[in-house]
Amino acid sequence: MIPNLPFRPKLPRWMSEIGWRTLAIGGLLGGVLHILATFAAPLVSRGNAYQQLRAVLPLNQMVVLPAPSSSKQILPYLQPDVLYAMCRYELTGGPVSVTAAVSGPGWVLSLHTPGGDNFYVLPGQQLRRREVSFLLVPSGDPAHARRAGPTDTQVASPSTEGLIVVRAAITGLAWVAETEAVLRKSSCTQVKR
Amino acid sequence: MSLLTNALINFAVFAALAFGGGLGTAWYMIEAGSRLSTRTFGPWTSWTAAGRPEADPYTRAHTARNGLLPVSSTLELTFRAKTDSNGSRLTSACDYTIVLPSTEAAWWSLAVFDGQGRLVQNGAERHAFNPQTAMREPDGRVAIAVARDARAGNWLPSGRSSRIVLVFTVQDAALAATVHDGGQTKALPEIQRAGCR
Repeated sequence: MIPNLPFRPKLPRWMSEIGWRTLAIGGLLGGVLHILATFAAPLVSRGNAYQQLRAVLPLNQMVVLPAPSSSKQILPYLQPDVLYAMCRYELTGGPVSVTAAVSGPGWVLSLHTPGGDNFYVLPGQQLRRREVSFLLVPSGDPAHARRAGPTDTQVASPSTEGLIVVRAAITGLAWVAETEAVLRKSSCTQVKR
Repeated sequence: MSLLTNALINFAVFAALAFGGGLGTAWYMIEAGSRLSTRTFGPWTSWTAAGRPEADPYTRAHTARNGLLPVSSTLELTFRAKTDSNGSRLTSACDYTIVLPSTEAAWWSLAVFDGQGRLVQNGAERHAFNPQTAMREPDGRVAIAVARDARAGNWLPSGRSSRIVLVFTVQDAALAATVHDGGQTKALPEIQRAGCR
């Protein structure tokens, strides 16, 4: 039994004019627009990290970037207490040989697709060998697998272009030059076909 | 009501549902996130699939739209705080204290940015602390003061920008797996407001 409430909320009169078809089609179109906008955002976004770095990074060449500061910041929210070496790679002309130092805690070697996917990551640890080298090859290309020697480590890239990022933790102002010198040993060179 | 009024009302509701609802909710899910793509611990929020190749569409859109380059969240988690532990907006007009427990994480970093993700301008050009640069208390904890003016100890200048954002990065694969799988984790550091001017 419904109790007799002293106050019964009354809907405004214009609300009774809304048809169920309006609600159903509006809701359906809203859902479609929601899905389209979500999937389109990464594709139409001109501000993504790869697009921004494309203008400042030469192709297949490791570049040590200046220490992040309020006047020199290449990407938003980029960690400021680390130094970065970056290489924009392109694999259509052949695989890319990568050598990188990952000297200790806070050091990270990461490989990214243009969409920002980090498909390979190697953290620096104190007891690990401090330098790593590998051949970056396009995913699903058997020619490179056959040509590589038994000692060559290969990493398959899901895209033909992308970014190699070596991140080095700054352990204090006095060690910036030393950290930068280790970071400069990192390289990224195209191996011609 | 006239036929025209009726049509106008229906059109307005249709447009609000389709564009406001569809695009508005997409914008909210991409910018602020939801339980589908983020996890929140007190004032700290992390996009749990950031950087992963199998990330959900909201995380991918968030990463692309904001120009982020995250290391995979299988290794490293980035927590962002826009409010203090009491829910008040972080601003450079106030001073804050953050105490990090003696952590076993491989590496962490606490940085301060303005509301747009830019480094806060300050004469000391100091923007972050990590285990190697922060001074520890005798019990191993690290106390960091975020303030406009110089403080003794670990002082992180908050500059003159109105809104600030704190970013806490933890490199710990075990923590990353726990957070991603929805498990409980040790509490993240509280952000206590010490005073405002």
